[in-house]
Formats: sequence, C-alpha cells, structure tokens
Amino acid sequence: MLAVLVRKDLLIEFRSREILISMITFGAAITLLYAFSFRPSPESMLTFAPGLMWMVFLFVSVLALHRSHSLEKEFDAFSMILSAPVERSVLFISKYLSGFIFLVVAQMVLLPLFFLFLQLPLPANLAQMVAVFLLVDLGISAAGSLLSGIVMRVRVNEMLLPLMLFPMVTPLLISAVKSTASIMDSQPFNQWKLWFQLILSFVIVFSLIGYLIYDYVSEE
Amino acid sequence: MESFHSRQSSKVMAGILAVFWVVVLYLVLNVTRIDPDQQMAQKIFYYHVPSAWVAGLGYLVVMFAGVLYLTKKDEKWDHLGLAAAELGTLFCALVLITGPIWAKPIWGAPWSWEPRLTTVLIMFLIYIGYFMVRNFGDEGERTRRISAVLGIAAFFNVPIIYVSVKFWAADAQLHPQPAMSQQSPDVFWTFMLSLLVFTLLFVHLLRFRVHILKLRSIVLGMRYDV
Repeated sequence: MLAVLVRKDLLIEFRSREILISMITFGAAITLLYAFSFRPSPESMLTFAPGLMWMVFLFVSVLALHRSHSLEKEFDAFSMILSAPVERSVLFISKYLSGFIFLVVAQMVLLPLFFLFLQLPLPANLAQMVAVFLLVDLGISAAGSLLSGIVMRVRVNEMLLPLMLFPMVTPLLISAVKSTASIMDSQPFNQWKLWFQLILSFVIVFSLIGYLIYDYVSEE
Repeated sequence: MESFHSRQSSKVMAGILAVFWVVVLYLVLNVTRIDPDQQMAQKIFYYHVPSAWVAGLGYLVVMFAGVLYLTKKDEKWDHLGLAAAELGTLFCALVLITGPIWAKPIWGAPWSWEPRLTTVLIMFLIYIGYFMVRNFGDEGERTRRISAVLGIAAFFNVPIIYVSVKFWAADAQLHPQPAMSQQSPDVFWTFMLSLLVFTLLFVHLLRFRVHILKLRSIVLGMRYDV
C-alpha cells in the first residue's frame, strides 16, 4: 500500500511537474541572488557557503512540503484516501518518502549549480557529503510532512508552514551547516560526529512522532 | 456557574499570592546580600529564573494535556493545553525581557547567542506558530486535535534544540551555571520562595484561564444551538 501511495504522488508530479520545476527555479533564483549580493571570492565564500546552501534547500523544501498536502485538497482527494483501507501512519510515511524524493531530486540539480555559481571547490569526501545530505533531507521531510499535514487543516496555510517549519528545524539546520562545513574543510569524522548524531536524533524523533500521531492529524 | 473570583479556593490563593509576592520583593531588595561583582543587577535572578521555570512547566503541561486530549477526547484537556501554552509563552516573553536587562550591564550587550537564550527564543517562535494555528483554524474539534499534536512535537524538540545550540555557539557559554547548593541561605531560601510564588501564580492563572475557556465554550455551544 505504501508503494501505491508513493507512486501516486510521484505520478502526479511526473505528469504535472509543478513541484520540481518550481523548486529548481526558485532554488536557482536564490543561488543567483546570493552570487550577486556577495560577489564571492572563493576564500570568503567557503565560510558562508554551507549556511547559504542549507537556507536555499530549506526555502525550496517548503514548496514541496506544502504542495504534498495541499494537492490532496483538490477535489477533496484526501477524504478518498482516508476512506481507503490503509493505516494513517502509512499515509504519513508515503508523504514523508515522496517529500524526501522531491528534495533529493531538486538537490541533484541545485547542488552542482550552487558549486558552479559560487565557485566552490568540490569536497574531498563526497560519500560523507551524500550521507549527510540524505539524512538531513529525511529530517526536513519528516518534520515538514507532519507540519504540512497540520497546516492543511487551517485556512491561511500558505504562510503558516514556513512559520512553523523554520523554528522547528533550527537544530537540524545548525547540525547540517556544521557538518557540511566540516566536510568541505576535510575534517575527520570524529571532529563533527556530534553534529551527525544530532541530525540522526532529529530524524528519529520526528519520524517517530509523525508515525505515532499522524493518525490524529489526518482524522476528519 | 459560579464566578471564578468568588470561589473560596480562588480567594485563598489570591490572598496567599498577594502576601508572598510582597514578602519576596522585600526579601530580594532588603535581606539578600548584594553580589560583589554584579551589584543590584543580580537581583533580577530572583524573577528571571522562576519565569524560565514556569515557562518550561507551562510547555510540559501543554505536552501532557495534548496527550490526554488525543487519548480521551475531552474538551477540558484542550482548555488546559491552550491555557498552559498562553502562560508558557507569557513567561517565555518575561524571560526574554528580563534576560537582556540583566545582560546589558553584565555582559555589555543585551543579547548573546547563548544556548539557553536561543532555546527560549526558538520555543517562543514555535509557540507563536501554535497560536496562529489556533487562530486560523476553526473552533472545531480538528483545530484542537492538531494543536495537541503540535504541542507534543514542539516539546520533544526542546532537548534537541538545546543541545544543538549549545554546541553551535560553544564560545558563547556566558550564561551563569546553576549552582544553588553553593549559595548562602538567604539567597537560597529567597530564591526558593520566589520559585514557589511563581509556581502558585502559574497554577492560579492557569485555573482562571481554564475557567474562562470553559465559559467560552459554553457560550459558543449556546450560539450554535439557536
């Protein structure tokens, strides 16, 4: 059932392409603004790049996360899904996974652009970078899917999601920025292990909370 | 329904609070020793720390009320949760106001990206979002449910926020560390009394607010009946 739900989200996106295209365009636009407003010299850029990078991804993720639930409002699709014989927590995981996939795909396009525009050197340890990125994406998607389910229930929900999401994910953002900076600085894993553990605990806490209480969010 | 302030228990509580509030003020200003380094600025500690404690207590109540509401579906738990969230945020604001007043003369700057301050600020922002959900949502059961979920999620985020901010600004660890056992008895007992008064104040205001929310829901119920 999970696969069917995720497939449904991906199929809608594959046909309309509205989430990914807006994510990528928006992300590229912010990156461009960064490049113009900071006039990067490679040395100074290295200090700010991890923070700027994650801010781009956080802004961009809001688009996907918001859309993931708001499209269910069209033609009252959500009630239909709820009437299907499927556990609500599975529904949460499906939103969680599709949000994660969108975020990863958008990053695959945006990250090279970011390195190119801001003239950054590629990090030596790409595997670590990928691991951190995937994990942080899981975290953003876990907290975001839960909050997006919550704000879907409220009238003025477009602006509410970022308002709720940004303070909620601050620990994740701090850890993501710190670990990315350490990887780009080629520091050994031991030096930034703590940040990795924090990302991990955020992912676990929010996946569990979402899994356990999405039931109450989705109930009609 | 009997008015809140005419209840025997409310009168007693209000009386105790009025007396002990003055007692604490007297003790703080006239009895406790003056800190040799910080002089009078240190006195705000008797109000700042209890505010922080009550803010934390408020958010703890929000979490428990959320769990109880989701399991029992009784409206009274929602009232308790909302009242506690409001009070928690009020005291959070007090912490954020009293902190900089103290920090300006002692640290030389009103704000520092110090773990406790930052955690309180983030919690404050999260709860502003909580109230927006409550305001933009309808009066119905659904808004109460998602608020409960939000209260629970926000609470479990606190330790992660605290640890992450702590290590993020490891050079900004200026906040005085708790070392109450080393304090002299006058400081210790005045502080404890202040803590007690703040906790009682919290309980009193909480009961008052829950009472009002209950009246409100009765009135709203009447409106829908007509």
